Amino acid sequence: MITRERAGRIPSRTTKRAPAPAARRTWRQVRARVRVQRDYGAGFRWLELDLPAGFAAPVAGQFVQLLLAAPSPVLLPRPMSVASVQRAAGRLRVGFLYAPLGAGTRALAELEPGDAVHVTGPLGRGYPLDEMGTPVLVAGGRGVAPLLMAAEALARARRRCEFVFGARTSELLVGLADARSRLARAGGRLHLATDDGSRGFHGDVVRLLDTLAPRLAAPLVLHACGPHGMLAAVARWATANGARAHLAMESVMACGTGVCRGCPLPRSSEARAPVLAQPSEAAEAAALKGNPEWAMCCTDGPVFEARELDWDRVE
Amino acid sequence: MSQASVKRKAIDAKRIDLGVRVGSLALRNPILTGSGTFGYGDEYAHVVDLSAIGGVVTKTVTVKPRAGNAPQRVAETAAGMLNSIGLENVGLERFRDEKLPRLRALDATVIASIGGETPEELETLLRALGREPGVGAFEVNFSCPNVAAGGARYWADPARLERTLAQLRPLTDKPLIAKLSPDVTDIRDTARACERGGADALTAVNTFVGMAIDLDRMRSKLGKATGGLSGPAIKPLALARCWEAAAAVKIPMLGSGGIASGRDALEFMAAGATAVQVGTATFVEPEAATRVLAEMREWLAANGIARASELVGRFRAEHAQEFGTLGAARNGGERRDR
Repeated sequence: MITRERAGRIPSRTTKRAPAPAARRTWRQVRARVRVQRDYGAGFRWLELDLPAGFAAPVAGQFVQLLLAAPSPVLLPRPMSVASVQRAAGRLRVGFLYAPLGAGTRALAELEPGDAVHVTGPLGRGYPLDEMGTPVLVAGGRGVAPLLMAAEALARARRRCEFVFGARTSELLVGLADARSRLARAGGRLHLATDDGSRGFHGDVVRLLDTLAPRLAAPLVLHACGPHGMLAAVARWATANGARAHLAMESVMACGTGVCRGCPLPRSSEARAPVLAQPSEAAEAAALKGNPEWAMCCTDGPVFEARELDWDRVE
Repeated sequence: MSQASVKRKAIDAKRIDLGVRVGSLALRNPILTGSGTFGYGDEYAHVVDLSAIGGVVTKTVTVKPRAGNAPQRVAETAAGMLNSIGLENVGLERFRDEKLPRLRALDATVIASIGGETPEELETLLRALGREPGVGAFEVNFSCPNVAAGGARYWADPARLERTLAQLRPLTDKPLIAKLSPDVTDIRDTARACERGGADALTAVNTFVGMAIDLDRMRSKLGKATGGLSGPAIKPLALARCWEAAAAVKIPMLGSGGIASGRDALEFMAAGATAVQVGTATFVEPEAATRVLAEMREWLAANGIARASELVGRFRAEHAQEFGTLGAARNGGERRDR
């Protein structure tokens, strides 16, 4: 474990994040067309949609709600993290990496090029990629998707990133070839880890961070996506090592727009403390949102800074 | 209702008069948003023209802010969704000082939903909000299925409803609308009690108590064992409750439960609702209320009905002999409609 001194001071509040896109309410529901639908290996799928003009470009970490056209086997739209955004002839082409596990995503996997799907977005708060420090992107399994997009955005800002990609086994390093080529273009350095040691570092991403961090210029800013257990471990690592960490969370959702209050995540005690007693970004945000106990994944997140959530209570 | 029984020469959709009255409150048209599905009104204002729909029923506000229930709060079921939100809301003070001013600026007809664990809490809310400008009416949430105190079970007592509404009635000049739970033995009892207590209108119905179990983990798919079921799954159930309640009282009804199309809305009106609320459909399609209104207008035009209010209770009027008991309706002539 590296010491606090080596990792450097927590970046000051000059790194205050931009106002949440949801607060400006730029989202729309539009009708999109499937452009690409293909197998992505290890049971995963890649979906690319053509979106009409007027749909704001999502940033890394944001999500959309995908609603199947009627007749659909499910009622509600499905939240899905954006994995790529390209502009072509004035239109947006947006990609998604998903696993067809439930009724909704299985039906989504049946769609063919040309089929219609309704898209609401962009939704939520993405990664604050402009935060000062060495960006370290930490991906677990299919959590790789928004982070490849983040690496590309960092490259456009002429910032080099470290890309830590972990999974249980080498086969679950989803879309590794795609990650390599996109990272090569973005100039990011790829570090692999597998729990079973079948590829790269033998161990989880947090152990890999332990060995990697001393070689990096402090302060570190982590941007992570993956299973909640991994994100909790990354959040704890960041807190213990004086780094900041921004973690993309998941939740069952109904509306995705902050209205139904259906996707609560437990706020940390710091975020719950009264603003005046303990001024902090997290407490300010909690006071503004009006619910000291629960943050909404859809509008307060899905990306949260480690100190905003109570990781012992995150399911 | 068979189309033949109302078929007239089609008229111009622009000539349809959609206005309806709920007590002293005039609505531009019969399409409202359901409480808890449209926030405090401004959340959807960039995609829905609030001045074009009949009105907005705001998220239920309580005296003190409420943090709501622990996750999971929502679970999808066949053609519906269960929720266990637990009345999360910003509380009276912030509602009055922050949310209401924003709504006033939007030129929307606002029906403020209020909820309380006791009659006294409802009195406090009405004393504070009863004369606030920009509120057209109050909907009293007597039917939340997801709170430990002051929920649907507590308010299922007709005597308590009557007494409470009688206490509330003098506190505001604006219409008081009582939102009823469907989970009672006979909704006509609670409907009549509210009418006797001084309610100006009724909303029928709130969500149905429901549950879903994750067998692998042998636990509820919600944070609590049960939640409230909404969406298309409940529409036939809600329609029957609305029809029964409408037949039992003289005050106007607001229909609610699974409405997702113009035809759904018109069915509730034919069954006796003066106006309707679009709820869960908004989660699926943020512009649902606008589309439901357009479809309603189209149907009325195609069927030559110049005033939406003409349709209210048409089914009832044509089936007057079936008003008696639910048993009679079951045995009787509903089949004749087909």
